[in-house]
Amino acid sequence: MGNEAEKPNIITSSLDFLVNWGRSNSLWPFPYGTACCAIEFMSTEVGRYDLSRIGSEYVRFTPRQSDVLLVAGTITYKQAPILKRIYEQMAEPRWVIAMGACASSGGFYDSYCTVPGIDHIIPVDVYIGGCPPRPEAFFDAMFDLQKKVKDESFMKQRAESVKEQLEMIKVKTAEAKRDVAACAHEKIVDIKDFMKEKQENLVKKAQFWKE
Amino acid sequence: MTVEEIFAILDEKFGAKRETLDKWGVTAVISASYLHNAVQFLKEGSDIKFEMLVDIAGIDYLTYPNHEGPRFAVSYAFKSVSKPGNRIRLKVLVSEEDLKVPTISDLYANANWYEREVFDQFGVVFEGHPDLRRLLNHVEFVGHPLRKDYPAQKRQWLSTNDYLLPQLEKRLEELGYKVVQRSKEVETNDNEFLEGSIKA
Repeated sequence: MGNEAEKPNIITSSLDFLVNWGRSNSLWPFPYGTACCAIEFMSTEVGRYDLSRIGSEYVRFTPRQSDVLLVAGTITYKQAPILKRIYEQMAEPRWVIAMGACASSGGFYDSYCTVPGIDHIIPVDVYIGGCPPRPEAFFDAMFDLQKKVKDESFMKQRAESVKEQLEMIKVKTAEAKRDVAACAHEKIVDIKDFMKEKQENLVKKAQFWKE
Repeated sequence: MTVEEIFAILDEKFGAKRETLDKWGVTAVISASYLHNAVQFLKEGSDIKFEMLVDIAGIDYLTYPNHEGPRFAVSYAFKSVSKPGNRIRLKVLVSEEDLKVPTISDLYANANWYEREVFDQFGVVFEGHPDLRRLLNHVEFVGHPLRKDYPAQKRQWLSTNDYLLPQLEKRLEELGYKVVQRSKEVETNDNEFLEGSIKA
């Protein structure tokens, strides 16, 4: 028992560093695969290239549990609302990789049915060129994304979100106060009317009994 | 009986003329009013029975060099399964003013979706079709994209998901299934607190 506490088990660091370290080494992708890029992603994921070496251990097929939306393939106009909805369903923090020429720019589908790049629908963090890109290119993109994640400041974002929430709470409180005041005013008017009626009734009654 | 003799019968019975431009010589041009009978003859009546409908294709001759006659055409490709290797193609010329062709979806079940596709891309109306809706393009699409005068760079956004479940439920009910729970489309509401993070 006594020996365990002899050496100090303390690490000093900034919270940003710790959070980013955790986030950047556990980027779970959500594969939105619509074309041959998805096949390349499969070979990135399995044994030979093994994406789980950099912590992308699981491919999550639900937007609720994933961090990286991986758009691999052509996006048509018919599919655009679905992609947008999936992006909105993802919990923050979230990042987007546009894999391949089609997702980045529409590729050679310069036609009426293809979205010319998914950045018309959702914000993109990393673009990968190639048709389809090799697994090495995908790894490169993941490293870029890790660098980007490490640059982000959790505390700053949190401060901003707290500020936003505070402002929203203030607005809501002001609204509620206004509502309460209006409601109270109405009630007072009601009570006044009620009292007037009662008084009139009493006067009537008194007159009746007098007579 | 050979395909040549079938072409002779088609000419005699339905007034179908051989297409000279076809380099394989398997195409006959037929008028829309005789199409249904001719297809029924090819499927059931003739010695070589053409049991398989390979394709229905729409054609727009707007920019075709040295073309005279109606602007649109619908081309039907048939193939024989009982006597393999025999093929026939029927072509119906349709003018832009009267874009109507009788349906053959009562003879070939796969013609249903082929005709929907031609309607979607060229705007040719198939009379008597049970369910003539767009097949490939989304519901809010305006125009017919494979026409030569459709601007190829023109993009049309779809604002919501294509919601196909009510149609599916209707079809299932017609087949005798009972729908236990009706699905309801999730509508996005901007007034809600949990609104989407990005605006169009």
